[in-house]
Amino acid sequence: MQTARHRFHEELEWLQTEMVTLADLAERAVSDAFESILHRDAQLADRVIAGDDEVDAHYLEVERRVFDLLARQTPVASDLRLVTAVLHINLHLERVADMGVNIAKIAKVTMGWPSNETVLLHLQEMADVAGTMLRTAIEAFVRRDLKLCRALPRMDDPVDRLNRGMYREVAALASDARMLEWGIHMNVVSRQLERVADHAVDIGEQVAFLLTGVFQEFSDASHPTGEI
Amino acid sequence: MNESGEAMEVDLARGSVEREAGEIGRLIVELPGNHRPSAAESPVVFDVRDLSVWYGPFRAIREVTLPIYQRQITALIGPSGCGKTTMLRCFNRMNDLIPAARVEGTILYHGVDLYEREVDPVEVRRRIGMVFQKPNPFPKSIYENVAFGPKIAGFKGNLDDLVERSLEKAALWDEVKGKLKDSGMTLSGGQQQRLCIARAIAVEPDVILMDEPCSSLDPVATLRIEELMQELVSEYTIVIVTHNMQQAARVSDRTAFLTVDVREDGQRTGILVEYDFTDKIFRNPSDGRTEDYVTGRFG
Repeated sequence: MQTARHRFHEELEWLQTEMVTLADLAERAVSDAFESILHRDAQLADRVIAGDDEVDAHYLEVERRVFDLLARQTPVASDLRLVTAVLHINLHLERVADMGVNIAKIAKVTMGWPSNETVLLHLQEMADVAGTMLRTAIEAFVRRDLKLCRALPRMDDPVDRLNRGMYREVAALASDARMLEWGIHMNVVSRQLERVADHAVDIGEQVAFLLTGVFQEFSDASHPTGEI
Repeated sequence: MNESGEAMEVDLARGSVEREAGEIGRLIVELPGNHRPSAAESPVVFDVRDLSVWYGPFRAIREVTLPIYQRQITALIGPSGCGKTTMLRCFNRMNDLIPAARVEGTILYHGVDLYEREVDPVEVRRRIGMVFQKPNPFPKSIYENVAFGPKIAGFKGNLDDLVERSLEKAALWDEVKGKLKDSGMTLSGGQQQRLCIARAIAVEPDVILMDEPCSSLDPVATLRIEELMQELVSEYTIVIVTHNMQQAARVSDRTAFLTVDVREDGQRTGILVEYDFTDKIFRNPSDGRTEDYVTGRFG
């Protein structure tokens, strides 16, 4: 088809490619950060923390170019929905990368402390699912796949369940003060991973809005179905 | 114009400005209060059904059906040659002035068929005024430009008051009140266009048709006209043809998208693709062709 606004559409293409790049960086930040906890790898944790500058640079460049597009190109219809979706997804991904940094910092603090295998196994499961959800959300964006978007809340259920159970597992470590302190930090890691999964659901909501023009929250925090 | 919400009689019978019962074309129009009605409440002013317009053997638009709602701004958008100006000109029978033009289908104006034999096109054009692409004031004084129409129509009231009221409604009074005897041609382009709007208002129309009214104006004058439209719509039904999609998005309540349909034999004709609330057209249009046009992927 003949395109009348060639440069504008090239810019929209760039934004979409940039979302894939940013999602890759954010997902890697979280998985590497968790690896640094599992393998007590301080260097890897440092790399995650240092890598956040690159994430921020992508994030800021996307913000700048979206702002420019809105000012100069006044996008409408699906282009407008794409630009606003990108604006949200960009922020979600930047927050996900920040969570990777938070986990990496905890990895450094807890480096020499005693740990618990069960807690780590559950955290590993959460990290795996959260990573898969993030990839799914971005795949839904790239493929414009509404079904994939709608699969995300269900994928989030085990993450929520494991996060809710985490404080009990940490409380069970109370007999050992050092272990308890480690456990409390791992509870924060659990919370971070749970938030990563929530961001993936939110990205799915944005993609659904892009596809349907109707914004709808997939899950409502004020009316949760499960216990806290 | 009745602002109290009482019934107003409309009579389009040939040669008659009297309001007598029993004439062809007489009907009662319920006018709501002086506020912009919500879309759901708004009555239909024009009910266009299967409208086709021919210029000789060439069909300019094909089987267009749509309602135009009272005291709303309806924008007609679409690429060149899609028939939007042709359609606009049907609303006050301006196409009658083109010898080879022929209209099929119906346009009901408050329930009256505009193209009935008994309907007087002059009376139609009094009730349904038009503002053109290029400001076209008469080579007369500012005062005479506004007073001319009412005089012709046999206006018996206070002409000075009518001129002042019309110029005020057109947001021009403050700029010209000290020089009403100056020629209308001495005004700036934007002022001239507002003078033409005042001229249209002076004959107390029901509908104002605007054919790209800002295309020859600078951005500041354009925004003034757009502001003015927002004020006028509380009293008048406005239909605007515009090439400027952002203008349609800014000012209108509803938007009709027309495009050019090319048949296998190469015949080109204008068709209505989509008609909906303007926010729907510019946020999430239903038809892919509308989407392609408003996003610039077509053309």
